[in-house]
Amino acid sequence: MATLHVIAHSPFGDERLRSCLRLLGADDAVLLCGDAVYALRPGAAPHQQLQQANLADRLFALDEDLQARAIENPLATAVDYPGFVALSLHYDKVNSWL
Amino acid sequence: MNTLDSGGQAIALDKDGFLVDLHAWSHEVAQGLAAREGIALTADHWEILELLRQFYQEYQLSPATRPLIKYAALKLGAEKGNSPHLNRLFNGTPAKLAAKLAGLPKPTNCI
Amino acid sequence: MAKSLLIISRQAPWNGPSAREALDIALAGGAFDLPLGMVFLDDGVFQLANGQQPAALQQKNLAANLQALPMFGVDALFACGHSLASRGLAAGDLALPVQVLDDAALTGLITQYDQVVTL
Repeated sequence: MATLHVIAHSPFGDERLRSCLRLLGADDAVLLCGDAVYALRPGAAPHQQLQQANLADRLFALDEDLQARAIENPLATAVDYPGFVALSLHYDKVNSWL
Repeated sequence: MNTLDSGGQAIALDKDGFLVDLHAWSHEVAQGLAAREGIALTADHWEILELLRQFYQEYQLSPATRPLIKYAALKLGAEKGNSPHLNRLFNGTPAKLAAKLAGLPKPTNCI
Repeated sequence: MAKSLLIISRQAPWNGPSAREALDIALAGGAFDLPLGMVFLDDGVFQLANGQQPAALQQKNLAANLQALPMFGVDALFACGHSLASRGLAAGDLALPVQVLDDAALTGLITQYDQVVTL
């Protein structure tokens, strides 16, 4: 049962992203939204963790949150809200890291 | 305010008839509360009320029906820890009514 | 058959409502006989420490309330070994009978449940 993990908190000074990556299943995906997209800033430590996790096409970010925060992002697949909904339906369950 | 007269003392109750101050409980108060519900307390009732107070002491919360039954079965045996016995003693709503008579807060996970 | 739910509690006990909310979900679900599991992760493992005395904070005793989980039918209780070790907590320091799992076992656990929520 593959899980879509949704994270909305900034990765700086917060363990959500790190713990999520530790517990990620081989078929699980991660969607970053809100301040969590700061993890995609090149050169930042969380960016390196994401690169090392080697998620390839299993890493997503909400496009409007990227734009609002001026994150140039080649690492994650940008999705809009309909894309978010489609992902939620594609995976067996959604784990929101509240 | 809602009060119970117990031996000449006015004991404060909330709108659902639960004690406002849990320390105001005594056997006389329990009998007064039971009388309001049309129940004359027997040894079987007291056993469950003491059990509930023990549960609250241990876990700091009032049990819903299922955990009450489980706890009663654990402490008193299966012939006491079952829903027919508890329903018969407490008018069909054991978790809520027994908590009230035992002077505990209203169970929060009980609808 | 009701859907199974895994609750991941990852906040420390006395700093905000999250730990209490996670426990309330578990107690309410248990009272209704839902198949539930609960995992303590990250700072959530501090909820399990022995000897906590929150009366000084004028708060309800979450640690005592946690003890009630088995009575509410929630027996599937787990803690993240990595989180415990990195916070200096050993299995013997815990006030609740939890199974300590490594990361791979936790990943496997999450896949077994129909739904999961992290608080």
